[in-house]
Amino acid sequence: MEKRRLLITFFLAPSFVVLAGVVLYPFLYNVVLSFGNMNLTTIRHWDLIGFRQYVKIFTEPSQPDFYTVFWKTIVWTVVNVFFHVVLGVFLALLLNQKLRGKSIYRTILILPWAIPQYIVALTWRGMFNYEYGSLNIMINKYLGLPAVEWLKSPTEAFLACILTNVWLGFPFMMVIALGAMQSIPHELYEAAAIDGARWWHRIRMITLPLIRPIMVPAITLGTIWTFNNLNIVWLVSNAGEPADNTHILVSFVYKAAFNFYGYSYAAALSMVIFVILLLFSLAFLRTTRATEAAF
Amino acid sequence: MATLLPYAGLFLTGFLFLGCGIRDNNSSRIVIWHQMRPDEREILQRQLSRYALQHPSLEIVDIYKETEELRSGYVIASVSGQGPDLVYGPSDPVGVYAVTETIRPLEHLFPGTFLGEFDSSAFTFFRGHLYQIADKVGNHLALVYNRKYVQKPPETDEELLALGRQLLTRYGVKAGKPSVYPLTWNYTEPFFFIPFLTGFGGWVFREDGVTPNLDTPAMVEALNFIRDVRGKHKIVPGEADYEIADALFKDERAAMIINGDWSWAGYLQRGLDIGVAPLPKISRTGMWCAPMTSPKGYSMNINVPESKVPLILDLMRFLLSEENQLESVRILMTVPTRTSLYSHPDVTSNDILKNSLLQIHRGKPMPVVPEMRAVWDAMRPGYQAVMGGALSPEEAARQMQELALRKIRDMKE
Repeated sequence: MEKRRLLITFFLAPSFVVLAGVVLYPFLYNVVLSFGNMNLTTIRHWDLIGFRQYVKIFTEPSQPDFYTVFWKTIVWTVVNVFFHVVLGVFLALLLNQKLRGKSIYRTILILPWAIPQYIVALTWRGMFNYEYGSLNIMINKYLGLPAVEWLKSPTEAFLACILTNVWLGFPFMMVIALGAMQSIPHELYEAAAIDGARWWHRIRMITLPLIRPIMVPAITLGTIWTFNNLNIVWLVSNAGEPADNTHILVSFVYKAAFNFYGYSYAAALSMVIFVILLLFSLAFLRTTRATEAAF
Repeated sequence: MATLLPYAGLFLTGFLFLGCGIRDNNSSRIVIWHQMRPDEREILQRQLSRYALQHPSLEIVDIYKETEELRSGYVIASVSGQGPDLVYGPSDPVGVYAVTETIRPLEHLFPGTFLGEFDSSAFTFFRGHLYQIADKVGNHLALVYNRKYVQKPPETDEELLALGRQLLTRYGVKAGKPSVYPLTWNYTEPFFFIPFLTGFGGWVFREDGVTPNLDTPAMVEALNFIRDVRGKHKIVPGEADYEIADALFKDERAAMIINGDWSWAGYLQRGLDIGVAPLPKISRTGMWCAPMTSPKGYSMNINVPESKVPLILDLMRFLLSEENQLESVRILMTVPTRTSLYSHPDVTSNDILKNSLLQIHRGKPMPVVPEMRAVWDAMRPGYQAVMGGALSPEEAARQMQELALRKIRDMKE
């Protein structure tokens, strides 16, 4: 027994060291940093100053304003995850039918996910250009509507980021939902059909409850990824343009740390993000009882 | 013995990972971080290969990093005792590097005779110390024109507007847009706005060199001018970032572009018949539109051990040599920093280089103080909002100043 325990420890040790090095140490360092005053001028001689960075986040005016950015992050996350899930589940339902050329559709629908985010973001940025972007050309030519100043106005620029991320994110939910649907025993649908259940009833009473245990962790992950998705906002809006109006919390942190060298301020802000996401994940998993068995 | 085994494994793995974080102080390996464009990089690599032939025991590694990544990555790496031996780039982050004590002063490392071979613009000083020696100077904007559309470049703002109207009439409008835009530039980066600000007599800092000076009549007038150029005279596109402006000019959909010396060789390689002229004068003020200029050069990491310093200095001497600077002059048409090259036929017989030198002469050196970063970030929203019609020039100027002061305060808190 003792030998077996030692063997387990031996095999676990490398992964423990790696995790300690790449997760635990940076996390603890970040916690300490958030109580310090490390910035451009104090980078080599910084001190611990207590909760001052946290007080600054919540009480002092910043550019952009913390509460506005926080509100935008909520909108960004909710809208994105909503469309990821709705589109993903809807397309999975379609692909779960008997369809001709299903594998071709499936491949095409997974494409947005397969392309690197940087390329997607920069391509969409080009498509949002006022004069030469394909979106405005289509809006103008086929709908007869005036061109939209996608990247110049705060609301439109934020919408542009959301549109890009919706396009990028639905394939993940689609793949997860499709996998979950394919694991549902077919007999359940046959029994329901014998009982006279219509298509919508079968979806509502069989498919949705049975894919829930798989979808809930996927939604939780999707929420965390979307909440922390720096690439799309940063690249589509070109670092928060116009006028720093398209920031979400994580791009705000990035700018504070790496453009303004406010390392401790950024560390405190990232701790705030961590707490928000931790509370959300715990509450969401508990409310949806995702860990309970489905069958 | 068996009980010690897991712990031995754990420590071994730990040391392996620790090893990844230690700076490579191997004296036979020199690492350079830079932000050079592909054409510049090609030249650097050729030069390094030549150097390596003379020094077969040395391994020289050049690593490209994007501007922001270079700046922030270098500071973080160097503060942690790591980073490259040499860092190459424009002079503007030198203030940040010096304040964070990540680069070492160079004034005592080179003899006066060597430094005397350079134009003074090659040296970037901060708080009395020499921190960077450049192989190129400029990095400046000028008016680039396509000779197919423009025979004589405008010398004043009035001539510019008149030429713009003339080009609009001559080439007409297609699908609601001018077939050829008379002028274009990047509306998102305030660096491209500086020549207008200086043309109206403004500057980014007060005389102390660190207090922002953005809420001024000159700023309001300059913003008014560019707003009218876009909205009233309509001689520029409705929207243009760097890529759009560059593409319009390359596709011959724009007759003139305000762009930097880094772009000119690319236009020639594309087969465009271009000319480069100094930016025009603002008639009302009688002042030239003066772009910011900055040298591009090498700084040495503070972590380079003393034993390795001679090797690094020798490589710097080689990279800054006359022969290597001339190679860049010929291929990239950049302005060298060695005074002996200013009378070289390759410089004096080249119209583009001659006008480039004239533009540098009329330009203003970019401040290297860390506060400049806050000023750029404070100017960007206002500049974009005025070009987008969301703010009046007066309001934009007020917000720029307020924001710059706040960002500088935040940087230091």
